Amino acid sequence: MGVRLRAALRDARHGVRARRRRSALTGLGIALAAAMLVAALVVSDSLGFGFDRAAKAADLPDIIVRFDPVSSSRVAQHITALPDVAAYSLRQEVTSVGLQAGNQFAGNGDVEVVGAGPHGYAIVAGRDLSSRPGEVVVEKGLADAWGLKLGSTMDIDGLGEQRIVGFSESPDNVSYPLAVPRVYVSATALDGRFGAQANPQVNLAEIWLRDPANLNEVLVQARATSYGLQGLRFVTRAGVRVLLDQAAGIVIDLLVALSLIALATAGVLLAASARAEVQRRLRAIGVRRAVGASRGHLVLVQALESLFVAAPAATVGAVAGVLATYGPTGRLLVLLNEPAPGLALAPALIAAWLAAIAIPVLAAAWPAWRAAGRPPVALLRGGDLVPAHPHGHGGPGRFATPRAGLTVLGARLAGARRTRLIATAATLGFSTAFVLLMLALASALNSLETDPGALGKRYQLTANLPASAAAHVRTIPGVQAAAPRYETQAVDSFSLGETIDVIAYPGNHTIFEAPPLVSGRRLRGEHEAEVGLGLSQALGLNPGATLAIQLDSGAELRLRVAGVVSSLDDDGRVAYVPAGALLAADPSASGEEEIAVRLKPGANAAAVTAALGPSATPATGAIGRGVPLVAVLRSILRAVAIVDGLVCLYALIQACALTVQERRRTVSVLRAFGAGGPAVRRLLAGAVVALVVPAAILGVVLERLVLGPALARLAASYVTLSLGASGLEIALVLAGLALAGAVAVVWVARQATRENVIAGLGAQ
Amino acid sequence: MPVLEARGIVKTLGVGRAERRILDDVSVDVEAGEVVAVLGRSGSGKSTLLHLLGGLDRPDAGQILLAGRDITRQRPRALAKTRLRHVGFVFQSFHLIEELSGEENVLLPARLPGAGRDGERRARRLIGELGLTEIAGRRPHELSGGEQQRLAIARALVNDPEVVLADEPTGNLDQDNGATVLALLRNLRRRAVVIVTHEPEAAAIADRVLHLHDGRLRAETAAEVTLWESA
Repeated sequence: MGVRLRAALRDARHGVRARRRRSALTGLGIALAAAMLVAALVVSDSLGFGFDRAAKAADLPDIIVRFDPVSSSRVAQHITALPDVAAYSLRQEVTSVGLQAGNQFAGNGDVEVVGAGPHGYAIVAGRDLSSRPGEVVVEKGLADAWGLKLGSTMDIDGLGEQRIVGFSESPDNVSYPLAVPRVYVSATALDGRFGAQANPQVNLAEIWLRDPANLNEVLVQARATSYGLQGLRFVTRAGVRVLLDQAAGIVIDLLVALSLIALATAGVLLAASARAEVQRRLRAIGVRRAVGASRGHLVLVQALESLFVAAPAATVGAVAGVLATYGPTGRLLVLLNEPAPGLALAPALIAAWLAAIAIPVLAAAWPAWRAAGRPPVALLRGGDLVPAHPHGHGGPGRFATPRAGLTVLGARLAGARRTRLIATAATLGFSTAFVLLMLALASALNSLETDPGALGKRYQLTANLPASAAAHVRTIPGVQAAAPRYETQAVDSFSLGETIDVIAYPGNHTIFEAPPLVSGRRLRGEHEAEVGLGLSQALGLNPGATLAIQLDSGAELRLRVAGVVSSLDDDGRVAYVPAGALLAADPSASGEEEIAVRLKPGANAAAVTAALGPSATPATGAIGRGVPLVAVLRSILRAVAIVDGLVCLYALIQACALTVQERRRTVSVLRAFGAGGPAVRRLLAGAVVALVVPAAILGVVLERLVLGPALARLAASYVTLSLGASGLEIALVLAGLALAGAVAVVWVARQATRENVIAGLGAQ
Repeated sequence: MPVLEARGIVKTLGVGRAERRILDDVSVDVEAGEVVAVLGRSGSGKSTLLHLLGGLDRPDAGQILLAGRDITRQRPRALAKTRLRHVGFVFQSFHLIEELSGEENVLLPARLPGAGRDGERRARRLIGELGLTEIAGRRPHELSGGEQQRLAIARALVNDPEVVLADEPTGNLDQDNGATVLALLRNLRRRAVVIVTHEPEAAAIADRVLHLHDGRLRAETAAEVTLWESA
């Protein structure tokens, strides 16, 4: 066995050396596929499991409660009365504090004075706070943004200069600069400096439960027994991850699909390449079989040859994939206050690396196995692995209309390998569809910030006019509908602290605002409301529950929740209520009115704005802390679209190269008769057109009719997204595809015309 | 005036111990309307000489003038154009393209960029003259060897070249088909034809027979060639 393996290794090494250029192209494909796979894996794992890792590392509490400052003993009394509490910690959160380190300054710092008990954050560098005074732990995102080092100092208003002893991460909020800068100081240390207080004031409690499954019961009881606590706001661990999960989920789904496409593309092309290579070497295989080489030996040589190319290529690709994505993803994770996956990613990366090696090795071994199983005499005659003659039959006496120019011939040459043509066109089509989808998604995410329609807002303008002006506004040319819109802030009656954005219209509000329903139905009467998903999750409000809100006037409005709607606006803490009910409970709310104006399609917004007067303003896009995250996700999507474009380019180059490799003799005959570079390029252009045209049609149809609508439905719980690619996006992608095709044609033609014509004429 | 002139051609193949001077100071002229047969054993360098004369390869030394142009000095692009306009090749294995019908194969050189405009008309005429009308719509695998070679000859002539170079044109044909193909090559009016072969029958139709032996080209009479072959 040792001797056989050594012989196979020697033959395989010789094979790779003899076909350096082909091996390099194959290696490039493997490297690209591996890079794509690994990149998808890194981003998917990081975003998919980042929150869980961060929550575990930070020992994130199940409930975070904020309230107006009150003595710690009183809060402790409330918490210890709750069932199932495993631990709790109390702290004072001081906001709008000036922080300065070197040249960096922020006036809106958040200083958390940490007391006894678990801290709810993970130390990612340095150490935690001790009882010694003058120490501060800084959030990692802030440290990165300001370039802070351990041991350096930070000046905190009221506390003076503090030494930075550690960096922290806690996924209860995103990090600076997406949120305010946050630092932690020790209560014990402050006591040492300013003197211990017997019953210090606190405004934040973190609560850990023995069994998180009891969260809802604990929350209900906490709200019920919260008398004496003002400005109460609950945040749950489950609620914190909702936005991240929903936003990142779409990206992860896309990345996984893309990596599968890249893998399929590479698999199809590598299999085709391996078959073409075996086809080219049939006589050599026949000679080896004739002189006694076993079928197993020939397969082993082919597999080893592929292994020699695949192993380094997959390694390079995997490393490139990690390098390309680990850094940016790590920076994103820091912003999300989540740790990088680190070694936890290693098993998945190793599995991806092995897959990137195994697939080409198997793809190479299989045609060799088939070829080596044929009688040596057939192989020596140059027997074909595939049917020797193309499809089609010219009848006797038929004088074919001579239409076959070089481009048509190129298309026919590509079409002669029908299965490969279909597989390659299909993978290109899927890639095209996904690039279109990602661009559409990136545009849709962009529109969240700029286009109110993406948030379900169907009105384009508002005007600070009295409700009575609505009838007049409707008569302005270009106005389709106009109605008074009331928007006011309220708080939840139970928690007395959860801020709610209350929006009201007289009549059907969906004419002006129709965020998609997640559950339940639209409100139908004066006693019903629709609540945003964020509010629903924060307060546990489901259809059928009672929404009790305390308005600014002190009046309470109680409505039955008819449905839950999704909205990124205000992080989903919104409630749509009937205007009649709102005004009945709080007539002063009429002071908040404005006229919402919906325009007719194609109407001139500027003209309507002018007619409305100086108070008219365009409707706004999304607000809330999710928007900066969306911007990062948009960048990732665009980057992945570029990588997918490279996969398309590789697929086209490989398809062209395979056509030339299999049709060396045809190309050489043409060159013998005087075909130069332009003719070979025209021939290859035909092959590329045969691939690109069906792929483009498939890609556009797939995105417009299948993927876009499917993803829009998936994203419906997050926000209303129109994911059909626009004409411009389609044009751009098709132009990119054409450009990739042109690059493939020029590159492969250049290689083809460098080959010796005589060698090509002798090729089988 | 010769349409094809080769002077002092030297060509070495192989490297190291396998290195062999396959053509050593070879010179040959071919006039328009003349058929020249080059005979020699397998491996004697006949095909190499043909490739050099047709501009498919470059000699190590010497000069080749084709239709008045020194093709040994031409850049690849100009060389391709020279082949397109002035040379037609006929190969032993026909080298017809399977995806194309017989007529499309004939037309192919005429459709290359830079080819003359009369290709289509000439192709139809050639197909008619060579008796290929009935089979012109068929694919190569549906045709006999003789039919394929006749189509290959039509293809070689479609751009109206001054020189036709045939490499063992009857090597894959039976006696009858071989005779038909040789008769066709014999009757290519106005053109210089070079046939490399090891078959005496091919030599019989030539105006002049040259013998390639040990890298050198010598003129032989037909009788000498027959004697040499039978030996």
